Amino acid sequence: MSTIRVRSPASYWLAAPAALWMLGVVVVPIALLVWVSFWGGRAFSTSSPLTIDNYARFFANPVYVKLIFGTILHTVGLMAVTGVLGYCIAYFLTMKVRSPLWRTALFLAFIIPFWTSTLIRAIAWVPFLGVNGVINQTLMFLGATQSPIEAFLYSRTGITMAQVSLYTMMAAGPVVYMLNSIAPQWREAAMTLKATPFTVFWRIVFPLTLPGVVIGQVLVFLNVMSDFATVATIGGNKHALLPNLVLLFYESSQHRAASVVAVLLMLCMLVGVVIALRVVDIRRLGAER
Amino acid sequence: MIGWRFRLSLTSWILGTVTVLFLAYQWLPIFTLGLLSFSGPTGGTTFPMNGTSLHWYQEVWRATVMNDFKPPLLRSSLLALACSATTIVLSIMAAQAMRGQFRGNGWFFYLMLLGIMAPGILVGFGFAIMMRLMDVELSWDTTTFLVQVSWTLPFGFLTMLAVFNRFDRKVEEAALTLGASRVTAFRRITLPLVLPGVIGAGLFGFSLSYDEYARSMFTTGPDATLPLAVMAQLDRQLTPEIYAVGTTTTLFSLIAITIFTFAFWAMRRSTNLERS
Repeated sequence: MSTIRVRSPASYWLAAPAALWMLGVVVVPIALLVWVSFWGGRAFSTSSPLTIDNYARFFANPVYVKLIFGTILHTVGLMAVTGVLGYCIAYFLTMKVRSPLWRTALFLAFIIPFWTSTLIRAIAWVPFLGVNGVINQTLMFLGATQSPIEAFLYSRTGITMAQVSLYTMMAAGPVVYMLNSIAPQWREAAMTLKATPFTVFWRIVFPLTLPGVVIGQVLVFLNVMSDFATVATIGGNKHALLPNLVLLFYESSQHRAASVVAVLLMLCMLVGVVIALRVVDIRRLGAER
Repeated sequence: MIGWRFRLSLTSWILGTVTVLFLAYQWLPIFTLGLLSFSGPTGGTTFPMNGTSLHWYQEVWRATVMNDFKPPLLRSSLLALACSATTIVLSIMAAQAMRGQFRGNGWFFYLMLLGIMAPGILVGFGFAIMMRLMDVELSWDTTTFLVQVSWTLPFGFLTMLAVFNRFDRKVEEAALTLGASRVTAFRRITLPLVLPGVIGAGLFGFSLSYDEYARSMFTTGPDATLPLAVMAQLDRQLTPEIYAVGTTTTLFSLIAITIFTFAFWAMRRSTNLERS
């Protein structure tokens, strides 16, 4: 018995507002984007004829095609860095920190920046990266370089540095959750059977946390693929990834071209998520053996 | 051959060092931002600070029409409160509906997940195109509100779902057995028990809306919200004034989190006391 009857009409009425809201604001607009990307003709209206000219025009430009691969490459690199770093941090927090007080304190120290504005945190990197920035001043003070390195602000390196600080906790969070759910007996059993600590990690702990790793990687992937704000803040106008192109076309009122880029971006993300789901399934097959 | 005990403590040290270094990496920019916002009137956007002063905060306060951050701050706060309230109501309803196991609840769950997965730039852009085709004027208090709730609602929904899965159903059942109507049992028993979760949902609603940039950018008309105003100022000119605004809004969100957390803690404490 519960405060709501199973399959009662009331449950439909309660779910309806949220469902309609999500359909109207998320599903319909995204479907609309796909439709708009095929619009031909001169007028921007629902009666436009359908063509694939918009896509043909996009792929005819090698700069744009290169941008797709550049975006994917940048994202994969960032996934690798945040994945390794995030796993180390998650493992240390859950397995190595014994005192509950320290653990809470460290957790808070990691979580609090997450609740503040990503935009402000990206901007906070600007005074670090410039020619006279903190990093260059430190390097010159230490005598590592004679003249300032210009490779930080308005560069791919700077964007990567900021994004690592923004997104590593997304990779670490699900791993922390999975590590916490491993029963201590499993590790104890392996250790009783004289497995070395490395074997325990590699054969017991890591496979059990793999779903967490994959979910974290998906989160980082989706966020970095669509993160144009950090790129715009730190890359200036000199660097662009795929989502910045959406913005560029949108601002110059080329809505059909912007839709094409948006649809391609969406396709890249879908492919990424599908691949990730495959990886989790492969793990499950391996575990049953 | 080095003993495994030694290697174990070596890994601890290496992992600990990585963790501490990353903490510094994450926090140093934020602290620097705060520090530089107090630099002197001739201070630039990096060190040296050329003295300490409240000059840049005064600039923010005295600002003219172009770089006035006070109206955007007010808009963002009101919007965040509205999103928070809407998220609370809708996510309680949706999570309660999930308990009714209505037909198609699997699809409903995925629909909500889609709201989290779909990137802001696609949702914002698609919604802006839709509004254009429907000839609807973009404005921060209508279109931006609609889009932002689609972002905050799934987080509140997942929070409420987790809370409903965990709370003690026997209490609810007892009330129903004693003859309370379903509505009364929900209002008098269930709702007070899940109140900490409600506060969590509200916090998600507030903070996600307050910081949202991508979705607002496409759907806000001429009157900008705070993140949009900050970005516009960054495009025009980079001065420590931005750092002052950044420090202020970061403090503002930290205070909001503290209030929510404290309320959460107090609620949990009071429900625990009543139970024992």
